[in-house]
Amino acid sequence: MDQSHIRNFCIIAHIDHGKSTLADRMMELTDTVAKRDMEAQLLDSMDIERERGITIKASAVRMFYTAENGEQYMFNLIDTPGHVDFTYEVSRALKACEGAVLVVDATQGIEAQTLANVYLAIDNDLEVLPVINKIDLPSAEPERVMHEIEDVIGLPAEDSPRVSAKTGMNVEEVLAQIVERVPAPTGDPDGPTKALIFDCLYDNYKGALSYVRVFDGAIRPGMRIRSMATGHEFDVTEVGVFTPQWKTVEELTAGEVGYVAASIKSVEETKVGDTLTDVEHPATAPLPGYMKVNPMVFCGIYPADGSHYGDLQEALEKLKLNDASLSFEKETSAALGYGFRCGFLGLLHMEIITERLEREFDLDLVTTSPSVVYRVKMMSGETVIIDNPASLPDPSEIDYMEEPMVKASIMTPPDYVGPIMELCQNNRGIFEHMDYIEKDRVKILYTLPLNEIIYDFFDSLKSRSKGYASFDYELKDYQKSDLVRLDFLLNGDMCDALSTIVHKDRAYPKGRAVCEKLKDVIPRQQFEIPVQAAIGGKIIARETVKAVRKDVLAKCYGGDISRKKKLLEKQKEGKKRMRQVGTVSVPSDAFMSVLRING
Amino acid sequence: MTGIYVHIPYCVKKCSYCDFCSVPRDDSASLYPDALCREIELSRDRLPYEGPVPSVFFGGGTPTALPPAALIRILDTIRRTYDLLPGAEITTECNPGTAAYADFVKLRAAGFNRLSLGLQSADDRLLAAVGRIHTCDQFLTAFRAARDAGFQNINVDLMHGLPGQTQENYLETLQKVCDLEPEHISAYALILEEGTPLFEQVTAGEVSLPDEDAVADMEDAGMAYLKERGFVRYEVSNFAKPGRECRHNLIYWDDEPYLGFGVAAHSSARGKGAWLRWSNTESIPTYLKKLQKGKLPTAETLYIDKKEEMFEVIMLGLRKVKGIPRQAFLDRFGMTMEQAFPEPFLQVQYSGWWVDSPTHYALTKEGMDHLNAALCCFR
Repeated sequence: MDQSHIRNFCIIAHIDHGKSTLADRMMELTDTVAKRDMEAQLLDSMDIERERGITIKASAVRMFYTAENGEQYMFNLIDTPGHVDFTYEVSRALKACEGAVLVVDATQGIEAQTLANVYLAIDNDLEVLPVINKIDLPSAEPERVMHEIEDVIGLPAEDSPRVSAKTGMNVEEVLAQIVERVPAPTGDPDGPTKALIFDCLYDNYKGALSYVRVFDGAIRPGMRIRSMATGHEFDVTEVGVFTPQWKTVEELTAGEVGYVAASIKSVEETKVGDTLTDVEHPATAPLPGYMKVNPMVFCGIYPADGSHYGDLQEALEKLKLNDASLSFEKETSAALGYGFRCGFLGLLHMEIITERLEREFDLDLVTTSPSVVYRVKMMSGETVIIDNPASLPDPSEIDYMEEPMVKASIMTPPDYVGPIMELCQNNRGIFEHMDYIEKDRVKILYTLPLNEIIYDFFDSLKSRSKGYASFDYELKDYQKSDLVRLDFLLNGDMCDALSTIVHKDRAYPKGRAVCEKLKDVIPRQQFEIPVQAAIGGKIIARETVKAVRKDVLAKCYGGDISRKKKLLEKQKEGKKRMRQVGTVSVPSDAFMSVLRING
Repeated sequence: MTGIYVHIPYCVKKCSYCDFCSVPRDDSASLYPDALCREIELSRDRLPYEGPVPSVFFGGGTPTALPPAALIRILDTIRRTYDLLPGAEITTECNPGTAAYADFVKLRAAGFNRLSLGLQSADDRLLAAVGRIHTCDQFLTAFRAARDAGFQNINVDLMHGLPGQTQENYLETLQKVCDLEPEHISAYALILEEGTPLFEQVTAGEVSLPDEDAVADMEDAGMAYLKERGFVRYEVSNFAKPGRECRHNLIYWDDEPYLGFGVAAHSSARGKGAWLRWSNTESIPTYLKKLQKGKLPTAETLYIDKKEEMFEVIMLGLRKVKGIPRQAFLDRFGMTMEQAFPEPFLQVQYSGWWVDSPTHYALTKEGMDHLNAALCCFR
């Protein structure tokens, strides 16, 4: 299609502000999807996404819209992940667009995360169209929200459509504004092909697929293309678009968005942010902005039942096909046996992956204490990078250690500023700045160590603000820090799966809290079990799991023999599911419950 | 030899910890004795039976929730149908709130020669707390009445670990009971069973039970006291004056055959190919209906293979302080326990739980305290 009639845009919104619902209405209005085929929130195809109300994988939908002037326009709606962990994916998706529809909930106003993505859009020179949603709700305050958009973001919002994506009210106006205000693409249709990969997906039938935005030239089946960052070359077997079903097309030309299927074995070979070009007439330089994303949070993942190691490996491999940002390698733990050290973009990413492993692959998992990546400066002058507490070198050889710091921005009603600042302070936060965005919204900036927010920071923030505060963070830098490895011993044997690196000042309370918890979750055994927390060789906390005194069925008569046998069976089963740490049997879920503690 | 058990599923009121098959007395209670007699008669040619019968046990529920005449009629039917060993032990359980002197006289005259009285605790507050219908005084009266009526073999059922119970309080109960000089005492730790009202109360935090250690202390102190008073522990929770061990219960723990009659009753006997365990329906209407039609009320039958039978012999036999006679095991299975379960046998040995005996497989006191762990070795 002629570029002047193409509009590529994305929707930016906070969780629950109505992004997917608005997308659904657009598809209905453009007859992309018949109303009766609408499954609520079509774009979020994974169960977890729908349940959590977040979008994990970006997807793109092509629609045709006939404007009032009678002309037909091709709309490519590029869906973006809504969470901080996926900032890089978001930034690539934004690169594929000329405009962004900013959805703001008329009852809530702007949230920290939305703001981060709006700035990202503005940085990428996107035309941002604010839309005020949920005006059908009695608590809607469109006027206030309009002023907020103008004051906080500095965008004119006087003429912004006020819609209800749920009822469909005024959504037509959004479509009209997209035609009017989002610039048409301006690439060179005859130049050497340049297409930006903004997402990857693995399909069981088609193999690895790349979602691309063609800037210059075109891509069609039979072409040999090259990934400019990795150097891999492929033969294009198919190009197509999502409507939102798969639909093959003859070619993707300059300005268009769609998918490319080629002889690509894994999503590893084509990475988000990379540029595809024609091998015959290659572009001289790739599109800017490619970056290798590095995992920020690591943890060990083990099957609860050791015999499911193979299943776990297979599951991780399958997930990786779809998610190039997931990394994993084999790891062994004395306590947990064979498993994998996995790297994630952030906490949410970690949660999503573990949940998908459990849900989609029906695995029962044990995850170890999450860890960030530390830089260890050795006496020898060498720098060692570690993401696993177990691999921390001998403290006598360490000169000092550095830990990653993040810039956290929190938006909250003023009532909760006190408790939130206290929370940040308790987590070694350094106060940076506070802004009254308007009379009932405050933005607080803190520098926080990443290792403090990987446990339960987000949950604490939500509970301290009754759910009102929103939170966003980005990696800032590494800072020298007084860190120690906190170990736990059960009956004198170290349990490697529980070791964690903490700030020295946090070691005592954390050590005590974990010992107390372990005392509760480790069942009594035939002998007394000392539970100890230690730094180096020094014990800093101790609890005792007392020996079991009586492990016998008081009554066993003719009638209940089969039943009592079943009880024994259960006891035996329970024992099988436990992990052996030296002489002590530890239930798999004990590891998990301990991780939730941030002393 | 085959023992006979008769289940009477009626109670005046169900205790809050009880998960046995029991219901309030209703219209079905008048039909029940007939059905029972019918079942006993029908069973004679249809069920595996190796006579004679050394023991008959009426349990519940509360057998004495039925009038003595009904129990007597059932016993007479058993006598007529099966061959009772001369001097067979004939026991009925009895709630102290449900029987008077005249009843005891009738039962004794009809041949009942052992009585099992459920006291549980001598503390009236504790009794009320778990929904027992009697007081300690009523128990004392019942006990004396039974003695006067000629019962020379009486068991008293007691519990520890009741809500609010202390060791002192438990020992007081033991003292009161020992002073009556019964022949046998069963002293059970309360088992909190899911689905009972007590379970709900504890889960809801309305009632709290003594903790694990307190219960263990009570149990140990109780055992020491009973020993002092001349009661010999012969099973995990059972104590008797010498020679007064309950013959009926020993049938269970020796894994000998028994026939169970009545709703929800269980049976166990040697079948043609394998050992069998079967149970009757738990529904009173179904039970009555089946027997009206002249059918046995069997609900479920389990076939116990050799290995399983060996495990059951071990699981039950090791409950006895004397343990399992080596010769009996060898005779029954043609091999020793060491041969049948070499690894598990050694595991128990490593734990130091075997009593050093050339004639028996028996556990030490510590081994009996960890009986479940010991048995898990054999699974």
